[in-house]
Amino acid sequence: MSYITPLEKRKGLKLWGSPNEIFLIVAIVVLSLIIGLNNSVFFSIATPFDLLRSSLIEILFALGLLIVLISGGIDISFPIIGIFAGYTTVVVMLGLGLDTYSLWIPLVLAAIIGAALGTINALLIAGFGLPTLIATLGTAGMFRGFLLSYIGSVYIANIPLGLDQFSTADLLSVETGQGTLARLHVLVIPILILAIAIAWLLRRTMFGRTVFALGGSEESARRMGMNVRWTKARIYMLVGAISGVAGILYVSLQRKADPYDLYGTELEIIAAVVLGGASIMGGYGTVTGTILGVLLINLIKDNLILLGIPGSWQRAAIGLMLLIGVVGQAISDKRRAKQATVIEEDAS
Amino acid sequence: MKDISRDLTRRLLSDRKLTQLIVVALVVFLGFSILVPDLFLTPRNFISMAFQIPEIALLALGVMLAMLTAGIDLSVVSMSNLAALSTAYLLVTQVTEGGGNVYVWIVIAIAIGILVGLISGLANGAIIAGIGVTPILATLATLTLYNGIAVGIRNGQSIIGLPPEFTAIGNGSFLGIPIPMIILLVAGVGVALYINKTGLGMQSVLVGANQEAATYSAIGVRKVLLMTYTLSGGLSALAGLIIASRSASANPDYGASYVLLAIVIVVLGGVNPYGGFGTVTGVILATAVLQMVASGFNALRFSQFFYQLAQGFVLIAVMILNTYVDKRRLKAKKDKAPQES
Repeated sequence: MSYITPLEKRKGLKLWGSPNEIFLIVAIVVLSLIIGLNNSVFFSIATPFDLLRSSLIEILFALGLLIVLISGGIDISFPIIGIFAGYTTVVVMLGLGLDTYSLWIPLVLAAIIGAALGTINALLIAGFGLPTLIATLGTAGMFRGFLLSYIGSVYIANIPLGLDQFSTADLLSVETGQGTLARLHVLVIPILILAIAIAWLLRRTMFGRTVFALGGSEESARRMGMNVRWTKARIYMLVGAISGVAGILYVSLQRKADPYDLYGTELEIIAAVVLGGASIMGGYGTVTGTILGVLLINLIKDNLILLGIPGSWQRAAIGLMLLIGVVGQAISDKRRAKQATVIEEDAS
Repeated sequence: MKDISRDLTRRLLSDRKLTQLIVVALVVFLGFSILVPDLFLTPRNFISMAFQIPEIALLALGVMLAMLTAGIDLSVVSMSNLAALSTAYLLVTQVTEGGGNVYVWIVIAIAIGILVGLISGLANGAIIAGIGVTPILATLATLTLYNGIAVGIRNGQSIIGLPPEFTAIGNGSFLGIPIPMIILLVAGVGVALYINKTGLGMQSVLVGANQEAATYSAIGVRKVLLMTYTLSGGLSALAGLIIASRSASANPDYGASYVLLAIVIVVLGGVNPYGGFGTVTGVILATAVLQMVASGFNALRFSQFFYQLAQGFVLIAVMILNTYVDKRRLKAKKDKAPQES
């Protein structure tokens, strides 16, 4: 009986991607085939382009959340941070008369606002040691209440020129058979770069390895001499900044700033990340899986009607998928834990 | 008689968190009474509060039961809406004008609504205890699922025009006490008896205090969790029925912000989010405090968003205070220990 550690096993599988990622790819392909066979309109270059456009912002939010989940925490406040930063940026820019074509000003401003709100989360979680769910539930209420009571509760249609223009910045546009234009948004590239950067951050930097260690076992991480508090603080500040950027990009793509938006989307994004294989208990999760999770959910959401499911059952379908995702994960976790004990017994 | 009252005061004061809460309640009450006496300190306001408290308190009691076992139930609002919608659906389709057995159908519809709640809760329990999914994730998934089912049943539309015989329950009073309040008090006593007097209830507190120790002490953790989440579903259904009866309608998306509110109440009520401690009195008192804040803000013409801000703030302030006090007590204990030996 050869001695296989779970780590070696995982390494071996890495050539093929994790089983979960393969499952997601298979699910996406099979679903696409079913939808396409039901309705040939689906097989058009416009479909993947539209799917990407509707997924981009969620991917960005999801990547931020992924870092939190890997560290063993949870964040409920990130969509609120996003819309807070996005809306406030627009209000501040219009207030200062900065109706420019610049894209950097709003991006940087939103990132700073997001990071500032993230710092409040960081202070509560790393500083006071509050449970992450309760702390972010509280801050989500506070941020939303503050936004709507003090910053504004009206919809702004005239967003700064740069943001407005960016919403139609296409990387390429292809004429389809039906004579309509299929457009791929330029945002695909920066988000791809950011995804690679986050993957690198998680896999190759001291910070990233500490995040994994923290999720694996906080006590062990502490005893290894890792700075648990500072790492936690940095996680929530980083996620705040990412959410801020996602929020302003959302405003840009929507071509309007509505402070009531994004509220309640946290569940869907948590669903996507968990479906993507990240463990809510911490210590495991991949960027590829997360992106595939978001794509799968959006594929289903965008094409429910083509699948023959009435639109009103959309939410139930997402709930069911999320349930299947978490149940599947719990079962595979149990099996892995069992295997680990069996291996230990064999070795001894 | 004197002994009983002394005993009662001593028992109330022995619970530090409850004492704190009574002080907070008095401060809030006096504060608003001074700030807006003509709008806050009126019998009408207090009667209206007495009608509003029960539904939220019942949801909070459901969350409390889950938190006692170191879990959480995020799906309470979805379960309550699903139950309300099922009952309303039956009422609207079965109770027709001139149809004879209105009361029979009301009883059946209420029973079905509560059954829907119990089954939803049982499903939560099965996923958590049977399959081993973490409570946050399991109830997050079922939150979406139950809400989705409620939306799907009636195409996302709410059901309106419930029969007056049914709405009389939520809007009526018995001996001057609002009927919803009586339902809450009965349910509250029931939950308190469950926690303190029944084997399963006492075990649920032990599971929350230390699940591993509970497992080794041959406590049937699965059975306890199953019961906990089923009861939470039942309490949520009761809340849903009260809401439907009070508003004469059922809406799949009613009270989305109640999830935050219920957790705020439970934490403010002195329940330990890490499990193992919590009282029904604390939760009901905390609901009353927050309801006073809500109606006080209303009298001061603050927006509902300001109330959301205040809720978040209260949640965090209480949590910080609790960790700070606990730390200090722990330290005081540690400092004391070496001297004794």
